[in-house]
Amino acid sequence: MRALGVARERAIALAVVVPGMLLFAIIGAAVLLLAVRSLASSDPDLLLPGLSALATVVGLFWMVSPLVSGLAIAETHDVSRLLHFPIPAWTLVTSSLLANLSQPMVVAEIPMIAALAIAVAARPLALPLTLAGVLLSFGVILAAAQVAALLLHGAARNRRLQDVATFLGIGMAFVIGLLPLILLWGGARPLAAAARLVRATDVFAISPFAWGVRAAVHAGRGDLVGFGVHATAAALAIGALMAASAFLIHRISRGELDLGGAPLASAVPARMRFAGAVGALFEKDVRMSWRDPALKATLFVGLLGPLLFVIFLLRGVTSGGSRALLYLALFLGVSAFGSNAFGLERRGIALLMGFPVERWRILLGKNLGAILFRTPGLVMLVVAALVLRAGNLLPAALTIALCGLIVGAGVDNYASILFPTSHADPRRGAGGVRGRGLGAMVMSFLLLGVTLLLAAPFLFLAWLPLLLGRPVYWLGTLPLALAGASAVYAMLLAGAARVLERREPELMERMLSEG
Amino acid sequence: MLPSMSDATPGATSDAIVVRGLTKVFREKTAVDGLTFRVARGRFFGFLGPNGAGKSTTIKMLTGLLRPTAGEVLIEGRPLDTDLLGIKRLIGVLPEELPLYERLTGEEYLHFAGRMYGLGREETRGRTDELLQFLSLHEERSKLVVDYSQGMRKKLALAAALIHSPRVLFLDEPLNGIDPVSGRVVTDLLRRLASKGVTLFFTSHVLDVVERLCDEVAIIDHGRIVAQGTLDEVRAGAGGSLEDVFLKLVSADLRREDLSWIG
Repeated sequence: MRALGVARERAIALAVVVPGMLLFAIIGAAVLLLAVRSLASSDPDLLLPGLSALATVVGLFWMVSPLVSGLAIAETHDVSRLLHFPIPAWTLVTSSLLANLSQPMVVAEIPMIAALAIAVAARPLALPLTLAGVLLSFGVILAAAQVAALLLHGAARNRRLQDVATFLGIGMAFVIGLLPLILLWGGARPLAAAARLVRATDVFAISPFAWGVRAAVHAGRGDLVGFGVHATAAALAIGALMAASAFLIHRISRGELDLGGAPLASAVPARMRFAGAVGALFEKDVRMSWRDPALKATLFVGLLGPLLFVIFLLRGVTSGGSRALLYLALFLGVSAFGSNAFGLERRGIALLMGFPVERWRILLGKNLGAILFRTPGLVMLVVAALVLRAGNLLPAALTIALCGLIVGAGVDNYASILFPTSHADPRRGAGGVRGRGLGAMVMSFLLLGVTLLLAAPFLFLAWLPLLLGRPVYWLGTLPLALAGASAVYAMLLAGAARVLERREPELMERMLSEG
Repeated sequence: MLPSMSDATPGATSDAIVVRGLTKVFREKTAVDGLTFRVARGRFFGFLGPNGAGKSTTIKMLTGLLRPTAGEVLIEGRPLDTDLLGIKRLIGVLPEELPLYERLTGEEYLHFAGRMYGLGREETRGRTDELLQFLSLHEERSKLVVDYSQGMRKKLALAAALIHSPRVLFLDEPLNGIDPVSGRVVTDLLRRLASKGVTLFFTSHVLDVVERLCDEVAIIDHGRIVAQGTLDEVRAGAGGSLEDVFLKLVSADLRREDLSWIG
């Protein structure tokens, strides 16, 4: 708590986030109360399996939350800094659990816990027992999260496993982000099918996360034996998880927890294949991004927006599909804005700027890398064209996207130089980066407007044959649009290089002070 | 064989580094306060000072990574403020912090550095092989830098600073974290570079290394030079060994009476 308190920015973030979290928790609690009460009266047989499933999903999500949020959030569970002191492992486990109880994310759950306990209590007298049951479930969740965090901490000692864990964690966040899309795609049918399956099998009865909640439901129905059995099981689960935590702490402190061997060195010597400084920079960025799990994951997460667009196209567009395709192309095109040329460098900016390479070459190399990372979006554009049976529009759509990418990358150089910021270091989590500030955000919006303004003539040129109903004109307008966008990019690049030469020390001071 | 340093052709002046009134102020704090000194070409120049004295800030300014608040710097006769790119072609830098590209292999990193210094493909490949072999990194060439130990990272950064055969080498604590065997290899290499006319600007806390290697030293404290000259001159000025001189000049407060309860 003190660590959170001393960091001014974190404290401000908490001051903003905690009331919001509490508000959401209160709204969520009200919804949960009404939903559980409604379920208990309309379909009482589904209550036990349904709440078991809910507790299990919440428990699993909390277990992987350190992965989803980046490793830094595991800091609250990370007891390694206390291992030097002569404190028994059990004390460390207990203190860590208590510390977790005071985390804002946990405090915000109090209304939900209370609402669930009230909802399953048929009589007011049963409330203490139902509350105890729900709290036991929550205790299992926290203890399991602690075990997960310790395992993650053990894995973090091995770079290869840490990379895999980070990539999978972000992948899981990506999948969770896709869930609303899946619902959007299939309507309520997947939910209804899942509910039928849960009711028929009650498969989540075996989940330790569910035992406390099941105890609460039994208590609410006046079944004290059922309460006793499930509450005991939940308490034993907490004890077992704490024992597992103590065991892991012992193993970590003695350096015995080495989850996997050292990474194998590649037998084939690697070479930089592209020529010149621009090629070397481009290749360096591509290699580093592909090998950095967080950056690699952003390539896939970045597809979410275009995917959403394609789903909307598939579901809703019956007429005007060609226009929608061109809008998607425009959306993909301006996505190069915000690519942040120097973000990837982090503290390596000092290294990069130490090389005697003209600044326009550095910017060009970085921009080429950024444009390459957006090519999966172009694949999505091809998919959308095929889905809409608008393959004839594909050259125009690709030209629009490319014009946007080229001009967007050119304008974004100015934002990167004037308002530099680093990509978050996956080992430092979300705390590893500062925002650009409100003024910079406003300026970014202005620069995005400039991007659209500068790209507009070329986008119009690519669109014009469609407006005129003369697709044959594309033979002339598309190359012209690309050439024009490239010329504008060259001018933007030259200007940005001059700005960079003037502001190089300030840029580095800012970037290095962030690290 | 190491890359040849024979392209260290003399310029119009005999001084490799000229610093006049160099000052850096961070908000209210003056980190470097009006430094003035010269380093002749081919000299091994030790720049000493306690933690926070301004050594790294000075090196950052001399290598163009920080803009001085005031003062003038000439490297090989070229003014730093107007010919930064030209100067960067002539110098090699081994920073104290090592912000290497961690997701490149050691070999890829040296190839990248060679390309960025404008070397050709074959030249880069040849020098990379020689440097990796010389610094005993050849068996780890295909490992990612993130998996390198601190000492290996230091040697790799040194290799990257040498790959273009610089005329002036800035070394910020080059022996920190390096094992004694590698330390000997590195110090022998540095001596060899100096004998070939490369100017070395060197900071270290290890005073016996400074005594063994350096021709001249400057001692900096609170951003100001408090002593400067050849080793003999500095020793003679204050009397005693370099360590005695250093401790005397930087006003080290050696408390021996406190913590009596220990032991």
